Amino acid sequence: MKALLPFYGLLLCCFFACTESQTIVFKTAPIPLVASGPLFEGANTAQGDFSPNIADYLKQQGVSLSSLENATLQKVSLTLPDSLNSDLVSEITLQLAADQVDMQKVAVLNPVPAGQTQLKLSIAQEQKKIADLIRQNTMLLVADVNLKKDMESDWHATAVLEFLLTVKK
Amino acid sequence: MKNLILFALFALFSGISNLNAQDAGDKLIGLWEPSNGKARVKVEKIGNKYYGKIVWLREPNDPQTGKPKLDKNNPDESMRSVPLKGYRMLKDFVFADGEWNGGTIYDPESGSTYSCTIKAKDDNTLDIRGYVGVKALGRTDVWKRIQVK
Repeated sequence: MKALLPFYGLLLCCFFACTESQTIVFKTAPIPLVASGPLFEGANTAQGDFSPNIADYLKQQGVSLSSLENATLQKVSLTLPDSLNSDLVSEITLQLAADQVDMQKVAVLNPVPAGQTQLKLSIAQEQKKIADLIRQNTMLLVADVNLKKDMESDWHATAVLEFLLTVKK
Repeated sequence: MKNLILFALFALFSGISNLNAQDAGDKLIGLWEPSNGKARVKVEKIGNKYYGKIVWLREPNDPQTGKPKLDKNNPDESMRSVPLKGYRMLKDFVFADGEWNGGTIYDPESGSTYSCTIKAKDDNTLDIRGYVGVKALGRTDVWKRIQVK
């Protein structure tokens, strides 16, 4: 039995060498988010959707979709068309969802700094099923925005998400 | 030709029944109040699922800080700055066989998430059953629709 130990060790090393992973950054194009007005003071919802086309992206990186092991969201940036759109908002919470995958709360900004049009949200530490979400044809972005007062017009923003993908080499 | 007519009729009736199921499911959309009266929850449809968010709180401010209440019991510490007003406490419900299933309900007072099914007793009353694992081992709360004037 003792004589076989080096063999088992070698086998284990081979296993880990074969399953070595690499990380790839995937950044989305700007995704428009809209809450259709008129909007009332308090909780409102802005929505947008996008197609990750992750299989094509991975193919460009020389990796197949089947080698995607894990994905995490690492950055969310929101751009507002003018400071009016940020001054009226007290907090923003961002969720991701898809028809086949449950909604995940992924980022929050509380409070929204006044007068700024470029916002960086804090990312959730606990992230589940992000890889499942990113594999879907269409992903929904749901931004819950708390408005300080009523707004006659639509509320607009664009979101850019940055994911870290872990893939098998 | 006969087969074609039968197929067209089948497609027509299945289309109608799908539409009826959607209409019945949309009865959940609206403003609801749990039995404790502490909050009001607005249910909306996003994609093909139903979600409910808190839009009104009887006590909106935290008595300790005097500021709007936050989700301070969330097990994920990084999400404890999420305000309770606007919080999605009902998530991912799908309408099938006369009830809304497959979703979860979040209790902000404990920071716990439970599996949940929703049944409409009538147009203005819901039985909301939260449970862990087995549906029989759960608790049912009755929610009333708030009529928006």
